[in-house]
Amino acid sequence: MTIKDLVSGWRTWLEARSDLSSIEQFLRKKTVPQHKHSIWYYTGSAILLFFTIQVITGFMLVFYYKPTLEEANQSVAQIMTEIPLGWIIRSVHTWSAFFMIAIVFIHLLSIWITKAYRKPRELTWMSGVFLLFVTLGFGFTGYLLPWDDLSLSATKVGTDIPRSIPVVGAWVTKFLRGGDDVTGDTLTRFFGFHVCILPVLIFVLLAVHVYLIQKHGMSLPLPVELRKEKVKEIPFWPNFVYREMIVWLILVGVLFTVAIFLPPSLDKAADLMAPAPEGIKPEWYFLFLFQLLKIFPAHVLFISGDTIAVILILLGVIFFFFLPLIDNKPARVKGKVIAVIAYVFIVFAVAMTVWSLH
Amino acid sequence: METMKLKHSLFTRRQFLNGLFGGWLGALLASLMYPIVKFIFPPVREPDQVVLPFSEFKDMAPNEAKNFPWGSKPGILKRNDDGSYTAFVAVCTHLDCNVSYLAEQRKFFCACHEGWYDEEGKNIQGPPPRPLRRLIVSIEGEDLIIKREDLQ
Repeated sequence: MTIKDLVSGWRTWLEARSDLSSIEQFLRKKTVPQHKHSIWYYTGSAILLFFTIQVITGFMLVFYYKPTLEEANQSVAQIMTEIPLGWIIRSVHTWSAFFMIAIVFIHLLSIWITKAYRKPRELTWMSGVFLLFVTLGFGFTGYLLPWDDLSLSATKVGTDIPRSIPVVGAWVTKFLRGGDDVTGDTLTRFFGFHVCILPVLIFVLLAVHVYLIQKHGMSLPLPVELRKEKVKEIPFWPNFVYREMIVWLILVGVLFTVAIFLPPSLDKAADLMAPAPEGIKPEWYFLFLFQLLKIFPAHVLFISGDTIAVILILLGVIFFFFLPLIDNKPARVKGKVIAVIAYVFIVFAVAMTVWSLH
Repeated sequence: METMKLKHSLFTRRQFLNGLFGGWLGALLASLMYPIVKFIFPPVREPDQVVLPFSEFKDMAPNEAKNFPWGSKPGILKRNDDGSYTAFVAVCTHLDCNVSYLAEQRKFFCACHEGWYDEEGKNIQGPPPRPLRRLIVSIEGEDLIIKREDLQ
């Protein structure tokens, strides 16, 4: 019996019990349209690439990381200095998070501007918004884990913001912190969010998101759809996947280059009693919200500025989540206002970010 | 002179390109696996030697044993009847349990699977396949120095 017979025998055995060939047939039948906006189709798999890198490097870091007040900072120092190549693993984990979130923003803005969320893709958008929040949650909880001055201050501020939400605010803050203040309990709790709760959520949401994308197929941008002529298509497997692999290779190259030359820093262990260090700031993707909170006056009339800022942010989030229901025109109708809002948001976020850096 | 030339290529263009592509993927994968494996298996950190204050062991009675840390394992230091010292890594050679010295029986005992060693560390009863690992003891002034056997 040759190896070929062995493999085909094994395939028949598996096929009789699992119907795997239906997936294979689906992948062979699936096509991806080719037009001048096709580049946005690559952002989804780029996010998955960075997510996979996060999972692998995260598994590795958790082998040595110790999520307690006494040992957290020191165990990260151990990873950076003692464990063979540990500094690269942590650096890749930090930078891959950076790239993942950057591409998540590009991904969703491209969908917003091309209005790919319209019927029947409303739920794909909404699951995507949940994925965005889980991703930001990963970033926020992960930022605390090295437990240095910067991460402690950022977490104090970040977990204090929900307090301004009317009615439930104080409760949310207490839930996030595991008490009234940020302590070692917060660290252990954030570790739990980061490595147990959020991973489960993201896998469930990813399954829904990817299933819906496969069900509906790739969305065509309006200008392409309106042209009415037949759009050129290429097979998903192997043509499109090979093209994606080229993109992955470039991204992995950039990621490792940046990770090797610019490893993340680690300050001395956070002191719960020390005053906040100068120049504290959150990760770059929270900077525009950080700046928004900074510019609000202490009081506007008789309401506190924080409350107004937080309510504004919440309204923004609600608008964002329900975008496909607010802009519920049929896919073929242009919607200038929505696109303008997207551009205004981009300008606002970039301006606030640049402002916060000065 | 007739040149050695095959009329047909040994592999097709497709096979060549597939080999190139597969080899390239394999090389990429290997270069990614290397740091992962290095990271997951940190270097063994057994000490070459430990230095203990001799004053703590100088008054031991014959046939008395005391534990000391040998890296992340326990070591056991036993005073012999002639006043000299013998040291062992106090870990059973069967399945890695820590052993204890039973002075009245003059035997080392492993409770996990009832393994016995005589006072020289030789396995005499039960499942242990090898004698206990011996360490080299020397006294230099105030220091009691315990070394790995292969560093003698």
